[in-house]
Amino acid sequence: MKKTAFTALTMIALLALLVGGCGTPVPTAAPTTPPPPEATTPPEATTPPEPVIGTTYKLGFFSSITGPTSSLGVPERNTAEMIAAQLEEAGGVTGPDGVIHPIEVIIYDDESNPEIAATVASRLIEEDEVDAIVGGSGSGPSLAVVPLMQEAEIPYVSMASSRSIIRNPETAETYKWCFKTPQENFHSGGWQAAYVEGMGWDQVCDIYSNDGYGQDCLAQTTAAMTEKGIEVSYSDSFEPADTEFPQIASVVASGCDALVIGAVPPGAALVTVAAREGAPDLPVVLGHGVCNATMISAAGEAAEGTVFPCGKMMYADGLPDDDPQKELLLKYREDYMAFTGEGPEGLSTFGGHAYDGLLWVVEAMGSLEEGLDVTARRAAIRDYIETNITDWPGTGGVFNVTPEDHLGLTYEALGFVKVENGTWVYFPPEEW
Amino acid sequence: MQNIVRTRSARIGATVAAMVLLVAVVLYLGHAKGFGAIQYVQLVLDGIRGGSIYALIALGFVVVFNVTGIINFAQGGFVMSGAMLAVAFNNLDLPLPPALQLALAVVFGVAGTTVIGALVERLTIFPARHSHTLTLIIITVGVYIFMQGMALLVWGANAYNLPAFSSLALEDQILRSGGIMLKAQSLWIWGTLAVVLVGLYFFFERTILGKALRACAINRRAAELMGINPSRMSLLSFAMAAALGAIGGVVLSPATRPIYDMGLKLGLKGFIAAIMGGMVSSPGAVVGGILLGVLENVAAGVTRAGFKDIFAFVVLILILLFRPQGIIGGGERGVEQ
Repeated sequence: MKKTAFTALTMIALLALLVGGCGTPVPTAAPTTPPPPEATTPPEATTPPEPVIGTTYKLGFFSSITGPTSSLGVPERNTAEMIAAQLEEAGGVTGPDGVIHPIEVIIYDDESNPEIAATVASRLIEEDEVDAIVGGSGSGPSLAVVPLMQEAEIPYVSMASSRSIIRNPETAETYKWCFKTPQENFHSGGWQAAYVEGMGWDQVCDIYSNDGYGQDCLAQTTAAMTEKGIEVSYSDSFEPADTEFPQIASVVASGCDALVIGAVPPGAALVTVAAREGAPDLPVVLGHGVCNATMISAAGEAAEGTVFPCGKMMYADGLPDDDPQKELLLKYREDYMAFTGEGPEGLSTFGGHAYDGLLWVVEAMGSLEEGLDVTARRAAIRDYIETNITDWPGTGGVFNVTPEDHLGLTYEALGFVKVENGTWVYFPPEEW
Repeated sequence: MQNIVRTRSARIGATVAAMVLLVAVVLYLGHAKGFGAIQYVQLVLDGIRGGSIYALIALGFVVVFNVTGIINFAQGGFVMSGAMLAVAFNNLDLPLPPALQLALAVVFGVAGTTVIGALVERLTIFPARHSHTLTLIIITVGVYIFMQGMALLVWGANAYNLPAFSSLALEDQILRSGGIMLKAQSLWIWGTLAVVLVGLYFFFERTILGKALRACAINRRAAELMGINPSRMSLLSFAMAAALGAIGGVVLSPATRPIYDMGLKLGLKGFIAAIMGGMVSSPGAVVGGILLGVLENVAAGVTRAGFKDIFAFVVLILILLFRPQGIIGGGERGVEQ
């Protein structure tokens, strides 16, 4: 009797704790189910002028809303919710035949975990039967879902940078169904090598996070440096949960001229701080993965003077007026801040990657005729992205997607910046 | 008798040989990387810092194990909760001077976690106290998962900052001498460990409550017959373990970035340190922790940092295979028991 009472008490206490915890706003994995009223297929013959509501299209979305790469996944999720809200307001997209199609955006959290990414992707494909998928904040989760997309024949746009997402690294064959929007470590590596060369250094060290993204950073940095005759004399990985950084001792011992860090915050911030403590005079060069406010807030003073390539999002107002991306970038920034209620510190290039990918798919959906089944829609969306995204200004650059290149960006997509007084300053080669 | 002496000297010989071999391998690998004395000193210093944290966590394992026989895998959760509560308090917008607010945040982190530790014992261990020890251990695993989940709900997946105790800023003061650098926070960590050790010594040796705890550890049944209430002692041991873990988490925080899942790895390392010390001995836990920290950091330094955890777990397996009673002392009670 007494025991039962106690158990009950325990349960109540635990519940109270849970409720208390739930009071704070928290990113959830729950799918947001926005617009569609009932997707009623209209009677065909008797439909003269008034707008006709056609099939509801389903757009699957997943990002790392929680876990180590949530600094990427949260702005991406916000962007997806923003686009869902804009589509709801507009009622959907209008096809070439004048039929309006509401678009349902289904959002999941992959918890920064490739296995969970594969699970939610399967759910989107099999249970939700979506027409296209945009997702994957990190290269790890994205690479994990590529085989699923290829097998199920779903158009997939990744928001992560690894080239292996769109091209088989062994056969160099482009994956038919996979696209991506972010600039790449390949572009980053090119900038880093150009900077190191410009400064007249000939030996660098590289510390990278022990995951798909970090390994790709190392590979691309090494390739770009080697091409310019610069030696990567020491490289080692780290874990985001590390508390000591024995790597720095090796960096000092190796006598390299600069340290390249291939990681995203907060891991990149931890290494930057450790490098500044252990080797205060060693220049630090980062990758474009650190272009968000988390880096500066987490590394503080240690971020000062670090340099890295960075998408134009963060300093869009400083771009010349004839820049083809400027107008779009300013519009995205404004919309995003209005939607989330955050200040400019909430902006990141990652949200932009989601924006580009989602807009590709939405534009492709707008090209579909009424009456296609889901398989035909999937094929048509894929074909549209591959052939019609040309000279297409996005937040990440001016895209020219081709059957061989499912990204379609060149060097100009990235700029080069330096951290000064806690903010990014445009740092073009003339000023090096 | 002679036989024992012979096996013992053989064992000492083998240990010495193994250590010489280890040092030789370390020096060889370090030489290949161009390490000088500075690098080794730096690696050892950093290792001692990390190891001191393992030691504080390990002390929590020892206190609970001694009194209840439970290996408390929620210990890592206490480390995380200490750090996160302190960060949360420090981030409050209070009209206090920063130093006072940080001091209060530290107290809040430790006190809050102590209460959580007591609650954990009352709500999960006490109701199941008649169950098998294994059941109780599994309960503590569940408690850890629950704590981590709650932390994720409350604080999200972001990494936070706690200012360094000396500089009251994100950037710690750094003492440099001949290429070796020492964070001021390291001194705070070592000072804290020393104060905790002295405090524990006086508690266990000079107070009735401490003696009652020790009595419980030596023989539970006899202690009960002497009028010591074992369930109260169990409660006390969990509260103490929580406080020790939280102290570790709080002093470590400025040297890392507290995050909701930091407890898992730290808890496991603390567990390895406790095992190294024989699981029942407080000085053993401290030596074990520092040894583990140094070993791990030097080994990672001369090879690859990615292998760091592998070394820690290899140490765990070797200890369990060859010295289940711990590295120091011939503790008659050990994990084998």
